[in-house]
Amino acid sequence: MKRFLALLLTLSMVLSMGLSTAMAEEKELLTIDIYDDAANYHGVQTGWFAKVVKDRFNLELNIIAPQVAGSAVYATRAEDGHLGDIVILDKSRFQDSLAAGLVKDISAELVNCENIMQYKVQLDSFNQGLGKAEGVYYGIPSEMADTSPVTLTEEEIYSSPMLRWDQYTGVGRPEMADLDGLLDTLKLIHEKYPTNEAGDPAYPLSLWPDWDGNDNMIGIANVVQLTTWYGEKIKGSAILKPDYTFTEIYDKNASYYKMAKFLYKANQMGLVDPDSGTQDWNAVCAKMSNGQVNLLWYSWSLGFWNSQERLDNGTAFIYIPVKDQNYYADADAFFGTSRVFGVGSKVEGEKYERIMEFLDWYASPEGMTFQHSGIEGLNYIVENDKFVPYKDNALMDNLPVPDEFGGGGYQDGNNAINQWIGNALNTNPATGEGYAMKHWSSYKAKNMTQMKKEWQEHFGATDAVDYMKKNGVLMASPNVSVALATDTNDIAMKRVDVNKVLCQYTWQMIFAESEEEFDLLWDKMVEKMDGFGYKDLYAFDCANYQTEVDAKQAAADAIK
Amino acid sequence: MRINQRKLRSYKEFLLVLPFLVVVAIFSYFPLYGWIYAFHDYRPPFPITNETFVGLKWFETIINNPVRTADILRVLRNTFAMSGISLAFSWFPMVFAVFLNEIKCHPYKKFVQTVTTLPNFISWVLVYSIAFNIFSSTGAVNVVLQNLGWIDKPIAFLKSSDHVWFTQWLWLTWKNAGWAAIMYLAAITGIDEEMMEAARVDGASRMQIIWHITIPSILPTYFVIVMLNLANFLSNGMEQYYVFQNAFNMDYIEVLDLYVYNMATSSTGAYPLSTAISILKSVVSVILLVVSNTASKLIRGEGFI
Repeated sequence: MKRFLALLLTLSMVLSMGLSTAMAEEKELLTIDIYDDAANYHGVQTGWFAKVVKDRFNLELNIIAPQVAGSAVYATRAEDGHLGDIVILDKSRFQDSLAAGLVKDISAELVNCENIMQYKVQLDSFNQGLGKAEGVYYGIPSEMADTSPVTLTEEEIYSSPMLRWDQYTGVGRPEMADLDGLLDTLKLIHEKYPTNEAGDPAYPLSLWPDWDGNDNMIGIANVVQLTTWYGEKIKGSAILKPDYTFTEIYDKNASYYKMAKFLYKANQMGLVDPDSGTQDWNAVCAKMSNGQVNLLWYSWSLGFWNSQERLDNGTAFIYIPVKDQNYYADADAFFGTSRVFGVGSKVEGEKYERIMEFLDWYASPEGMTFQHSGIEGLNYIVENDKFVPYKDNALMDNLPVPDEFGGGGYQDGNNAINQWIGNALNTNPATGEGYAMKHWSSYKAKNMTQMKKEWQEHFGATDAVDYMKKNGVLMASPNVSVALATDTNDIAMKRVDVNKVLCQYTWQMIFAESEEEFDLLWDKMVEKMDGFGYKDLYAFDCANYQTEVDAKQAAADAIK
Repeated sequence: MRINQRKLRSYKEFLLVLPFLVVVAIFSYFPLYGWIYAFHDYRPPFPITNETFVGLKWFETIINNPVRTADILRVLRNTFAMSGISLAFSWFPMVFAVFLNEIKCHPYKKFVQTVTTLPNFISWVLVYSIAFNIFSSTGAVNVVLQNLGWIDKPIAFLKSSDHVWFTQWLWLTWKNAGWAAIMYLAAITGIDEEMMEAARVDGASRMQIIWHITIPSILPTYFVIVMLNLANFLSNGMEQYYVFQNAFNMDYIEVLDLYVYNMATSSTGAYPLSTAISILKSVVSVILLVVSNTASKLIRGEGFI
């Protein structure tokens, strides 16, 4: 009996070996390095997305994430002459890497990638913007939309004032004419709801300093974002005004001053969390989830509070208009967002073919469904050819994935590349609706809660963007495809110094004791910024962003 | 024959030392190659070539712009002040070790030693989160003070720009004192027990023994440590100041290492200038080391290099 068992075991081993070699003969397991400016995870992709890729291409994705490993990894790998097999870079870095010979000409292979070639207009625009001849391709823009450069598909814009509906209703839904009106309302809310349900102190505004100077905008991240409420947008060290002209960031008539003053006044009224300035983003994130913050201004921060339950019982955050505001919003990313996909210049032969095959799948309906909609039977189910949300907390609660997808937690195995070729709002040919859940008709029906109905009745519009459009207070800035120049060392140095001064003084101004002190600090700040060469920096940024502005203006004129 | 043997032996001994020489060469001398970036207009991903050579341009920018010069002087002031405070209180771990040694209840002594040594193993990031939990507006201290009715508005301890140098020294001491005392405790165990006994027989009090025997015996250890610290005068580390820095105490907390770090790791990254500043730092450190060594030769009759 024992001998029989041993024989059986050996047989099965031989068989399985034979099988696995047969599979390997088809395609050998290959690890590809992805240099990825977008990734928040460093290492080999694991979990369900790893299985999806391995089953189809027998590829393993090794992700190199400068956001985790430190920005020096860019310098050292560039010195080595090979950033990665696939590179995902910020546009300006992509341009530099191309000049340094680190990116491959993919024209010959790309034309065979039918999924990517659906975005031919965008590909031509971007690559010809790099000074390449027609039909020559180096880069694939990311998150390209299939709508148009001037459409605004989302229901809410990136930044707008949002209050909890129950609290706004609780203080009598006061109409707000301007920022002072907003402050008065916040004061009423703060007096009526000084704590959250658990008794922890709550504040209308809770700020954090660790994002300052990010996203190619100098200054405090919280102030910088609020400038879009008055139609202005910060570009580097300059403010782009609604009439497409630039002004200095320290112009007293512009919105940076206005919003800094707004936060100062809020602090004078006791509406700012005293820990702002010393707490980090994680602390604020916890406060948002605990209900210790009464005003939100980033559309994505809704995700930390608004759940189906809260939408149902009316305690969710929603846009509340302030009459004199005129919002700046970016239109659909038709030409793509800030990053670009490319292939490393040293990639050759079979590896190159398989990478292109993978990238094309990545932009295909199947690939897009995995990225933006999730897994069938977990994130959604299909009813009448439409997607219906199933377990919409899969990401938040890291729900277990079905065994056929390799098990493990959903979030743990989520796509760590964290950057897409096609946009989440693009139309899925299988359903005729957008890929992301918020575009599904089933989801919209579920979200038509009592609170939403009350809001619609009160403001006479279907959603935030609809309200803004009806009242003519939305400036959708056309999406354009322009690669900007990177800083020279002289400019980089000035940018570091100027940004440091601006952030340091703005924080002090927000917490200033009096209006005199505020203005004194402002003047001192301007003097110091000029001392560090602000004027040169401003001139550099204006010249640099003018190309983008010209393209936007051309796009805007084209639709008129 | 004998000479050959001696030669052979010296080769053998050289081979024994060789690994250490290699380690020093790789980790201490090879990185000096990086100084080359201070003389070039280096910007990744472009490699440095003859065209990018700019000579002393970055060193000149430090002096040319009065605002930057003032900024660097401010940073140097902070560096000297905080290193100076540490130096002025460098006797503290020694005295702590002496008193710790006097505790007769053995378990209690071990307890105190463990508790004071432990913070050394906590990273500065965690130290800051501890500090935040204790001193934030809803932290333990403010809650207690408010419950006692002594204050009605929370005090913003971490935001305060008063006494930054001193509070930073307190944090450093809280973290390091126990660890630094270990060296002195070892030195104390090395003291000849007979001397103590003789003193006791002669009727010396505890304080007299400490003053006349213990402290003089561990003083050489103290001097060596102080001089080693002197060479590190300019590099007082940046982690501590990095986690505690904010817009309100920046003027006082930014030390040289932190300044260089903030400059090099900003999103745009001004590598050449930060390299130039760190070269200057190395030069000043070497000067300080030579000065303190000479001083040691003059005072104690022997140097430590």
